[in-house]
Formats: sequence, C-alpha cells, structure tokens
Amino acid sequence: MAKTKAQSKSSSSSNSKKKKSAKSLLSGPAAAAMKAAKPVRANPFETIWSRRKFDILGKKRKGEERRVGLARSLAIEKRKKTLLKEYEESTKSSKFLDKRIGEKDDTLQEFDKAVMRMQRERQLKLKRTSKYNLSDGEEDDSSMPQVDDFEDEIAPDDDDDAFLGTERSANSSKHLSLHLMPDSSETSLPDEEEKTYKSKKQVMLEIISKSKYYKAQKAKDREEDEHLMEKLDKDFTSLAQTDALLSLTQPSKMNALKALLNKSDGIQSSKASSGSADKESSVKKEQPDSYDKLVKELVLDRRAQPSDRTKTSEEIAQEERERLEKLEEERQKRMLATDDTSDEDSDGGDNSHEPALKNFRAVSGDDLGDSFSMDESVANKSGWVNDIYENQDVDDHDQNEVNSVDSESNDQEGSDDDDDDDDDGESDENDTSGNDFRSMSTMKDWEQSDDDDLDLDGEEAEGPDEGDMDVNNKMSMDMQKQDSLKSHKFSAMDKLTPTGPEALPFVIEAPNNLTELCSLLDNRSDTEVVEAINRIRACNSIRLAAENRKKMQVFYGVLLQYFAVLATRSPLNIKIIKSLVRPLIEMSAETPYFAAICARQRLIHVRTRFCDDIKIPGKSSWPTLKTLLLLRLWSLIFPCSDLRHVVMTPALLLMCEYLMRCPIESGRDVAIGSFLCSMVFSVTKQSRKFCPEAIVFLQTLLMSSIGLESGLQHHSQQFIHLKEIKGLKPWLSIRDQVCSVHPIDFLKVMDKQADSPFFASDNFKASMLLSVAETLKGFINIYEELSSFPEIFLPISALLHELLQKAKLPGMLRGNMEDIIDLIKKKTDEHHVLRQPLQMRKQKPVPIKLLNPKFEENFVKGRDYDPDRERAERKKMKKRLKSEKKGAVRELRKDNHFIFELKERDRMLEEEERAERYGKAMAFLQEQEHAFKSGQLGKGRKRRK
Amino acid sequence: MVRPYAVKGRKHKKRKIEKVVEEQKDEVLEAEEEEGVKEEEAGSGGEAAEAEDERRAEEAVEQMAGIPIMPPVEGAKKPGVIFVLEKATLEIGKVGKAFHILNSDEHAHYLKKQNRNPADYRPDIIHQALLAIFDSPVTKAGRLQAVYVKTDKGVLFEIKPYVRIPRTFKRFSGLMLQLLQKLSITAVGKREKLLNVIKNPVTRHLPANSRRIGLSYSSEKLVDLNNYVAAAASDDVSLVFVVGAMAHGVIDKEYADDFIAISEYPLSAACCLNRICGALEQKWRIR
Repeated sequence: MAKTKAQSKSSSSSNSKKKKSAKSLLSGPAAAAMKAAKPVRANPFETIWSRRKFDILGKKRKGEERRVGLARSLAIEKRKKTLLKEYEESTKSSKFLDKRIGEKDDTLQEFDKAVMRMQRERQLKLKRTSKYNLSDGEEDDSSMPQVDDFEDEIAPDDDDDAFLGTERSANSSKHLSLHLMPDSSETSLPDEEEKTYKSKKQVMLEIISKSKYYKAQKAKDREEDEHLMEKLDKDFTSLAQTDALLSLTQPSKMNALKALLNKSDGIQSSKASSGSADKESSVKKEQPDSYDKLVKELVLDRRAQPSDRTKTSEEIAQEERERLEKLEEERQKRMLATDDTSDEDSDGGDNSHEPALKNFRAVSGDDLGDSFSMDESVANKSGWVNDIYENQDVDDHDQNEVNSVDSESNDQEGSDDDDDDDDDGESDENDTSGNDFRSMSTMKDWEQSDDDDLDLDGEEAEGPDEGDMDVNNKMSMDMQKQDSLKSHKFSAMDKLTPTGPEALPFVIEAPNNLTELCSLLDNRSDTEVVEAINRIRACNSIRLAAENRKKMQVFYGVLLQYFAVLATRSPLNIKIIKSLVRPLIEMSAETPYFAAICARQRLIHVRTRFCDDIKIPGKSSWPTLKTLLLLRLWSLIFPCSDLRHVVMTPALLLMCEYLMRCPIESGRDVAIGSFLCSMVFSVTKQSRKFCPEAIVFLQTLLMSSIGLESGLQHHSQQFIHLKEIKGLKPWLSIRDQVCSVHPIDFLKVMDKQADSPFFASDNFKASMLLSVAETLKGFINIYEELSSFPEIFLPISALLHELLQKAKLPGMLRGNMEDIIDLIKKKTDEHHVLRQPLQMRKQKPVPIKLLNPKFEENFVKGRDYDPDRERAERKKMKKRLKSEKKGAVRELRKDNHFIFELKERDRMLEEEERAERYGKAMAFLQEQEHAFKSGQLGKGRKRRK
Repeated sequence: MVRPYAVKGRKHKKRKIEKVVEEQKDEVLEAEEEEGVKEEEAGSGGEAAEAEDERRAEEAVEQMAGIPIMPPVEGAKKPGVIFVLEKATLEIGKVGKAFHILNSDEHAHYLKKQNRNPADYRPDIIHQALLAIFDSPVTKAGRLQAVYVKTDKGVLFEIKPYVRIPRTFKRFSGLMLQLLQKLSITAVGKREKLLNVIKNPVTRHLPANSRRIGLSYSSEKLVDLNNYVAAAASDDVSLVFVVGAMAHGVIDKEYADDFIAISEYPLSAACCLNRICGALEQKWRIR
C-alpha cells in the first residue's frame, strides 16, 4: 500500500524507471480498491462481531470485532507483495532490489521518506570527498564555498569549550548559523549571535570577575560555617558542664566527654592564637573527630528510661491479688491435667523439673502454708498440740518387746528412748553433755542406718524413677553420704565443739550432717532454734552464691532428718516440730526438686518397711508417729490438688494402703486409722479424688461400733471383699450412754500402750466416733458430685441408722449422726432426682459430608494456578507451540492456495493462448483445406499457381 | 483369567448367590469355568458387604460399650427439594487492573462511572440466601437435591448440595469470580465439580416430576407456608422453589407451576428461604 502511494507521489524523482517496472508487476485494480476502501469506512460486510458471552464490565477486549473480509484481502495483498514476487522471480536469474531510503519501513509517511532522503543527500555532499565535486548549480551554491576550515575541529558539546567556541565563532565573521549543520545545537544559536558583539578582552574580563566573585562567595560561606561551629561548640561545652547531659550518658562515656571538653577548649585557644586557623581546621576535619566518635556512641547509647513509679498500697494489693489468681488458675489446670499428664511421669528432665518449680507457688497459693496445726475438720485432734512431754515411745518399746527380730538400730533407739524416759522433758537443756552426746550419736546412728539404706534405695530406684535426676543432685546426695561417713569417722570431733549455752553466732555455716546440727541446736530453746535456722538460711541463701545451693540442699536433708529425729524423740517437743515446719516449707520452695527427691526416697523407704512389717504376723504395721508427721509435713509442702504429683500421689497411695492392709488390733490402731482418714480427707479435699479405702475404713469403724454380729450380718457382704479380712471386734461399741464426748488428743493417744485400759473406755470410743463422724461429713461434702454418691453412702447411712437404734450414744454424738444421715439423704435424693432411666442410645443423625470448593483468592483468568511451576510452564509452552503450529499450518495452506491460484491463472492464460494458437492454426488449416478442396490453393498466390 | 462379559454375570447374580457352594465345587471343571468366575465375583461381593457390616458394627461397639445403639432408620428414596435463585446480581467488573464481583459498597464510584446503578449490585443477597439454604437442617439431612442460581446476566450455574459455601463475603465473591471466569469449581483434592455453569434454561435440569413454586411478594395468592408445603410435598414429587435474589424486581413466572406469596411483607431472600426450610423440616420431621 505504502509502496503504491510512494510510487504515485514520487513519480517525479530521478529513478522513476525502476518504480515503473515494479508498478507494472502489481495488479492495478486491486491496489486501487484497497486504497479506496481503507480510509473511507469499513465495509459492514467485511466485519464480523463476536458475541460477548460472559461479559466483564470495564474490560476492553481486543479482537472482539473481527473483520474477516478485510483481513482476508489484507492477507492476499501481503502475499502479493511477498509471495507473488518470489514466485515471479523464481524463474529469473536477476532481480531488482529496492534499496531506497525508508522504503523498508512501512510506518514512515511519504513526506518523511522524502525528508530522510534529502538529509542523506546533504550529508553525502558535506563529506570531504565530495567537497570538491562540482555542484549541479541548482541546490548547494550558497553554503559550500563559505565553510571555514575551523569548523571541523569545533566540538560544541562541552560548556567550558563553548566559551572558546563562541570566541572563535566571534572571531570568524562568517555566519555559521546560516549554514545547515546537522550537529550544531540550536540552543547555542541565539547566544552566539549576542556574543559576537563582545571583544575578546571584554570576555576575559567577564570571566575573571566571575571567578573572583565565586571565590569571595566561597570564603564568605566558609566563614559563616566556622561561626556556626564555634557557636555550637560553645553551646555544647555549656551543656556538657551542666548535669543534664552527664546524667543521661553512661559513666564510662563521661570521661570521654570531659576529655573532649578540654580538647575543644584547647582548640578554641589555639584558634585564637594562630591566625591561620583555617587550614589547620580543614586538615583536622579530615581525621575522625573525637567529637564525632562520641556522637556516634551516643546514638548507640541506651536512652534514659523512667524509673518505675512507687506503687501505692492499692496497686500492691492488686498485684498480689492478680498473682494469687494466676496461681489458683494454674492449680486448677494441674488439678484437671487434661492432656499433658502422661509425660509428667514417663519422660523428661524438664517436665518433672517444672512442676517441681511450680510447687512452691502452688503451696503458697494454698492457704495451708504457715502452721502445722490441723485443719478445722480434724479440729477434734488439734488438742495434741498442747501437751508434749509425755513418753511417746511406748509403742517402740512395745514393738521391741513384741518383736525381737527388729533391726538393731531400732533396738538402739528403743534403749536410748528408755534412757530418755528417765529424763523429764524440761530437763533437756540441763542435761549433761555426755548423756546428750550419747543420745545424739545413737540418734545419728539410727538416722544413719535409716539414711544409708535410703540412699541405697535411692540408687536402685534411680533408674526407673528419677532417670532425670540431674548431676547436681546426685552430687549432693553423694556429698551427704560422704559427710555422714566422715561424721562416723570423726565422731570425736564432735566433742571439740562447744556445747554450753552461749550466745547464738550471727554467721552460721550450714551444717553438713545431723551431728553438727544437733550440736548446734541441742541446748537451745525453741525460739533460738528457729532463729539459728533462719540465720543459717540467711547466711547461705541460694541467691548469694552458686555453691550455696548445694549447701542448702545438704542442710535441707539434715533438717528433714532432724525433724524426723525430733518426731521420734521421747518427749515430743511439738513446739520445735511446729517451728521447724515453716523453714522446711520455705526451703523446699527454694530447692523444690531436691525436696521432692528427699520425700520420695523417704516414701520408698517407709513403704518397704511397711511391706516387711505386714508380713510378720502379730506385729502392728500401722505407721509410727514419725511417719504420720512426715506425711502431714509433705501434705503441707507439696500441692495436694494436683492430678498427679511426684510426692503426693505416692503419699496418698501409701496412706490408703495403710488403711486397707493394716489389721485393726487395738484401740490405738483405731485412732491412727481415723487420723489417717482425716489426713486423706485433707489431702483429697481440694482435688476431690475418690479414696474408697478411707470410706471403707470409716464404715468398718462404724460397724465395729454397732457390734460384731449385726454389723457383719447386714452390711459386710457388700464391701468386705474390698478389705482384707480384719479381726472385726466391737472396738467402738459404747456401753454406757452417759460418757462425756470431747475432742481427743491424738498425741496423747499415740503415747498410750496398745493394751492400755484407756482404749476400752467409753470416753475414748465416743470421741473416736465423733471424729469418725466429722471425717465422714467431710467426705460426704467433697464427694457430693460423684454420680455414684448414693451407692457409696447409702450403706453408711443404713449403718448409722442401725447405730442410732442399737447403740447407746451420747446425745451430742446422736445429734451428729442424725445430721449426717439427713445430709446423705438429702444429697442422695438430689442424685436420684437427677438420674435418668437407662435408655437406648440414640444415634445422632450424621450430617452429610461437605466438600470445600477450591478457588484462588484473586483469580485472574488465564493464569495457571498449578502449584508445580514447571508443569505450568510446560503447559504454557505446549499451548503456545500448538497455537503457533496451527497458525503456521494455516499460513502454509493459504500460501499454497495463493500459489495454486497463481499457477492456475498462468495455466489458464497459457491454455487460452494455446487454444488461440490452436484455433489460429486450425483456422489456417481449414482455410487451406477449404481452398484445396475448392480447387484454389491460397488466395492470391494459389490462384496464381 | 479374564472375565469376558461383566454384564452377564451381573444379570444372573441373584440366582448364583444361592448356588454359591456347589458352584465353587464345580469351579475346577473346565466347562463351567466361566460360571465359576461369575460366582466367585458374586461371592466376593457378598463378603465385601459382610466385611462392611462388621466394620460398622465394630465402630458402633467402639463408640460406647454396653449400651446398645438404636438401629438407624434407613428410609428408602426420600423426596428432596431444589432451589432456584433467580436474578442474582453477580457481575464481574475490571476495577483498576483486578477483577471483582461488583458490589455496591466497594465499587459504587466505579459503577457510577460506568453508568450503572450501584443499588442494583447486591451480591450479598445471594450470599446470604445460599448460606440460609446450606446451613439449614434440610441440607444437613441430605434432602437438598441441588441449587440453581441464575444471574442477572443470564448465566446459570448449579451448586451441588454438599458444598461448603464460604462464610465470609470476601471469600464468597472470590469463589463466584472464579466460577464465572472458569465456569466450574472443583473440590479441594478432588476433580469433582462442585459448582458448574450449565446451559439455560433451568427447566432442562429440573426433574420431570417436580412441582415448581415461584415466590413473590407481588403474588395474589397469599398462603400459609407450612400448610402449603404439607399439601404440596408428596413422596414422588420433588419441590422446586424459585426465589429471587435481587434487590428490586420480580422473578419471571414462566416455568413456575404456582406463584405464591408467603408473607404480607416483602421478605429478604434469606428470610424467605429460612421459612421454606423451616416448613420443610416440619414436614419431613427433621430436627
């Protein structure tokens, strides 16, 4: 198309012959038609509009209007330009090449092409080679001869050089601007024209004045800068001398700052003295200034932070409250312990360590903490606090008598206790030192033996149980052992230590073994003992030094031993024991892990003892007072409400085992058992764990109060299989109705011989029944939510009914029992009301399974959302390949069509020609034949022939 | 050994099951080889069924020991319900460079520029309506057969009854955007098409024995829906409810057998669908 236009317009150009030859090749009418069709308007018959099926508002779509006819004719046109030519030239040995400028580029207009050609022509003329060519005379007459020789050297690109250039141009009087230079910049043209009027001198002057002006300006700036700097320096020194900056910076930087101050003063002075300060300062600037360094450091410096406001009392209270709430929350979580319970005992160092750490918090969260007194529920037994100095080791003695096969340590103890029997409780302090020492050493021996096999047990149990025991603790254990050995060896050393009652030293080293502790504490009063322990703890606080942890652990073990020893001592100094509880609790909070290990070892030991004891018939296997006190201590130290706890769970199990397996053989056993029951109650009170052993034991006691025959008849069938057969005697059947009922003193009871007449007295029985009733009430209250409540407690209420009917109970007790019966009845009724009849389980209708639709957040059509990028890429390439292939095939097909058409046309032409020739020949022959037949050959000639 | 004609074996299956034992004895014989094969196939099918039953029983036992489970009441073929939502305004627009489902909240300016009425572009209506349908116990009980949605532009698509419709509007419009561009949405991890653009008109997809009920506020026939449904729904006829999901206007009543109003007030699509579902639950005792 463009070509045809070019042809039509540039017909006047010089090489028009070629064009004409090219033009003749094109089919004239088609080109004309195209030319007419395009600019006017699209032929509606050539246009096909594609329908918008899924319309998108605001989207411009390409190619929705397809002009098939136009496209076709365009394609044909293109083929005519390319394929046709090739076809036509295929038989030719030479061909024309159109190398005119701009002819290849279809985008150029005809005018542009002409311009380009013109430019080219001029450029050629400007070349040096063509300089001396004679002009044609019509085009470039004016410029050519006037071109200066300088001109070639001018490079008018740089600004500085522009000056020179202008100079030169000013010198040369020729008007270069008139000359059409392709590379002369148009912007410089007006300047040149102005400057032509200045002389060289003028120009130079101007330049000089300018440079001077700039220099002055620079100097002025520098001066201003210096002034500013000086001012800043002054400000800074004044600031630095005040406290404001000093308080903000760290003390380490203070010196640097001060040094800087001095230096800056120095600089100032030097500046003042030396006149040529400028240069020096400029030199100084190059080096990293100390001030700069300081500034950089200051950037990195920590910002001053406001200190915490002093808290008001309300805030403190609030914080405390929050802390307690948090603790309670944690406790509740552990109580439920829904998910992570299994790993607590099975695996891991950190897991068992963490709860141990928490223990302390939980303990302080529990309100039991600070005293060793019994709970309200067992208030009837809290009287045991009062009297202390009775001989309490009757049972031990008893044991020794009964069972001579006992360990020698016990023997020693027994004998020792016998000795101690002579002394009164108060005489402890007045005791002779020798006696004291003897007792001490024996006690130590007892504990030693105790402890030794304890340690052995510990070593054995380490594998399965405390696999996670860390090295620290092992070491401490070992140390303990070593210490104990040492104490064995150097027991003589003990004598060297001063024993007389003297002022308590303020700084006390933590004793390493029991002997040391005993020597320290023995002759002290109770308050002094507490004071001493407190001082030891203060001096060796874990927070003070790292090694104190070991020391304190050893001391904790020793203190625990001391506690146990005190519990076994004949005149039971309950006050000291009570005062020991508080430091023990606090210390086990400090070293929770060690405390737990100690407790566990003790428990294991106690349990093995118990197992041994129970095998021997006739020997009472009920726990000793020491064990009871230790159990009580642990229930205070460790949280009872945890679902699982390293110490409390085995402790509770042990208590229950005592209740289950120990046969009741005396009234004393009854007392111990009921005490254990109340302890179980206090332990399970918060967690509401169900302990069937305690309930069964209480039931047994109640039964024994009715009298053997009836009790066994009615009630035992149900639960007797739970217990080992016990010699059920009417331990608690009251014969006299008029006995007094008052809370019993447990310690006093413990001191009594098993066969003392006190246990047969109605008073004892009544008070035991009272305590049983109280404990039972407690259990009823904590188990009220169990769904099996009626089944558990209804037999008991029946028992109580019977008891009320048959036994002769004092009035107060009777009232108590009735209360309990009412309570059980009420709760049972509640449960019965709430109970639903057994019914077939309904299957919930299962909702249909839903499927999630797969879709992208921002879907764009055409993008492949295949997560496998490679596959997506491959797919894309395949798609492109296919479309390209199709396009190519289509093109080829159309080309073939085109060629075929051409050939067909040629063939038709040829055919026509041939036919024509044939016709002519035939006509000629016919004519000849005709002539021949008609008798005249040829027209004229033949006739002539 | 290749079983030549599966169809044959299928045909005689019932008879063969009775003869399992003897057939298996004869299996060795060359002549009855084919029979045997069929038999085996039938037998294995029976075994599979047995295994399935056992598994179910075990499952049930595992669920809770001791208490027997009521056998699930297995109804035969239950009639279902089909919803057709007409005139849903789901239209894609190219806003900036991204495509969006046009929405009167976000694209009001754009719509005004395009000379459209922003009030008409309410894709939230169809979202709420679909949630109302797919959250109803009728659907959970598996009584929904299909949902057809026809957009304002005339695009008709089907939604399978077990699709979890996106609960947030943004995600919903993302889903619709993809559906309208890709013409089908598959399930996650499956090739099954959950939403699929289908050919108009909707009547060619409705079952033959269906009762088509159009709902419109403008209808003269005001009915109590519970009674109406109770009367209309029978075991062999599946109900088709045609509800409009547009802000203004009325649905075309061409293919509806009945044209009713269920309230004296103009109801929202979601509310209307809730009432229909409620009535159906009452009728079919779905709780």
